[in-house]
Amino acid sequence: MWRFLLVAAFGGICYLDRTAAFQVMLHRPLVVASVVGAIFGNLAAGAQVGAVLELLYIVRLPVGASVPPDDTGAAVFGGAAAATASSSIGLDPGNFAAILLLSVLCAEIGKVADRFVRRMNGRIAHLTVDLLEKGDSLAVEHGMRAGITLFGVIGVVLTLLFSGLGVSMARFLLTRFGPESHIQFAAMLPAIPLLGAASVFSCSRTDRTSPVFYLTMGCVFAAMFFFRWLV
Amino acid sequence: MRVRRKVWLRQFLLQGCWNYEGMQNLGFAYSILPALRDRYEGRPEEFSRALKRHLEYFNTNPAMATVILGATIRLEESVAEGKADPRAVGTFKVGLMGSLGAIGDSYFWGALKPMASAAGAILAFVHPLLGIVTLLALYNISHLALRFQGFAAGMGGEESAVRFLKEAGISRRTEDRKMIAAILSGAYAGVVSSQAAHMFGGAWLELGVFLIAVFAVHLFTVLFRKAVSPSEVLFLLLIMGVLILWQ
Repeated sequence: MWRFLLVAAFGGICYLDRTAAFQVMLHRPLVVASVVGAIFGNLAAGAQVGAVLELLYIVRLPVGASVPPDDTGAAVFGGAAAATASSSIGLDPGNFAAILLLSVLCAEIGKVADRFVRRMNGRIAHLTVDLLEKGDSLAVEHGMRAGITLFGVIGVVLTLLFSGLGVSMARFLLTRFGPESHIQFAAMLPAIPLLGAASVFSCSRTDRTSPVFYLTMGCVFAAMFFFRWLV
Repeated sequence: MRVRRKVWLRQFLLQGCWNYEGMQNLGFAYSILPALRDRYEGRPEEFSRALKRHLEYFNTNPAMATVILGATIRLEESVAEGKADPRAVGTFKVGLMGSLGAIGDSYFWGALKPMASAAGAILAFVHPLLGIVTLLALYNISHLALRFQGFAAGMGGEESAVRFLKEAGISRRTEDRKMIAAILSGAYAGVVSSQAAHMFGGAWLELGVFLIAVFAVHLFTVLFRKAVSPSEVLFLLLIMGVLILWQ
C-alpha cells in the first residue's frame, strides 16, 4: 500500500512538471519509469523500459493546441510492470516487448485525460474573468490555484490507475503466456527501440543530419560486429 | 527587487491553467500580477484594467515567455507613468509571441529535448542514474539559463530583449543540437540493430538484419512525415503481437 501512496505523490509532481509547472523534465519516461521501478523494487528494470519509452513519442511536439500522447503515464505503467515482472516471472524479451506495447494504451488514455483538464481549465478561466469583472482582486490567484490543483489531482489519479494496471498485468496477464509465445513475441522487440530512434531522427532531420544519422548507425553496427568477431 | 523575484518564480507556473481558448492567458496574468500591484498601488480601477489586458489570448513557448514577461513589465511601467499607450502592451505581446513561440519550440522541443533524451537513453544502459542525471543536466542547464537571461534582457526594455534574441544565437544552437541528436540517435539505432542481429546469429544474416533495421528506420521516418503517430505504429505492433499469441 505504501508503494502506491509513494508512487501517487511522485506521479502528481511529475504530471505537474509535464504542463502546469516548471517543466524541468522530471516527467520524462526515463526518470519516471526508473523511480517507479525503484519504488516497486527494481530500479534497473524500470530504467530499461524508461530508456526505450524516452524516445518513442518525442516526435510529437507539444506545440499550440496539440496534445502529445502521455508518455509519463506509459512510463508509470511500464516501470511498475517491469519491476513487478522482474521479481516474479522474470523480465525476458517477450515480457519486455509486451509491456512496451501495452503501455501505448496508457499513453492514449492519459492524452484524453489531459484534453479533459484543458477543457475544464477553459471554464476556470471564464469564471476568473467573471469574478474579476465583479471586483474580486484575488480571482486570478484563485483561478491559477484551481487549474494547478486540477492538473495535480488528475495526475495522481492517472498514476494510481496506471501503476495498478502495471502491477496487475505483470502478476496476472503475463504469467498466462507460455515461454514459446514469449519467444515469438520477442521477435518484435527490436522494432520498438528503432521506432524511438526514428522518432528522434525525425525531430532532428535536415539535409545535413540525414547522412550523419545513417553513417553513425552503420559505424556503430560495424564497430560492434568487429568487436564481437574479435572477442 | 522583491517584486522581480516574485514574478520570476511565478513564471514557472505560466501553463498552470492552460486552456484551449486563452491558452497561457491566466498564467501570464498571474505571473505579472505582483508587478501590476506594485505599479498601480492605490489605483484600483487602473489596476483592474491592466490585469484584464493580460487575460487576453496568449501563447508562446513557456521558456521563451520570460523575454516577453520582462519587457511587458517595463512597458506597463511606462503605461502607469502615462508615457505609453495601454494598447501598446497588447500589440507588443502579440507581435512577439508568435515568433518567440516558433524559435522556442524549434529549439526546446525539436532540438534540445531530443538531444538530451537520446543521450540519457544511451547512458541509461551504462547505469540508470547516469542516464537520468545526463538527461536532466543537458536539458536544464540550457533551459534555466535561457529563462533567466531572457527575463533579465526583457527587464532591460524592448531594445535589450531584441538584442538578446539576436545575440543568443538560438538558431545556431538549434542546428548544433539537431546534429548531436542525429549522431546520438544513429548510435542508438546502431546498437539496437547490432543486438537484434546478434540475436538471430550468422555473419551474413547479421548484415541482412542491419539492412532491415535501416529500412525500418527509414519507413518509420516517412510515416512520421505523413503525420502517422508513434501510437498508431505501436498499436499495429500490438495487434500483430496478439495475433501471434492467438495462434
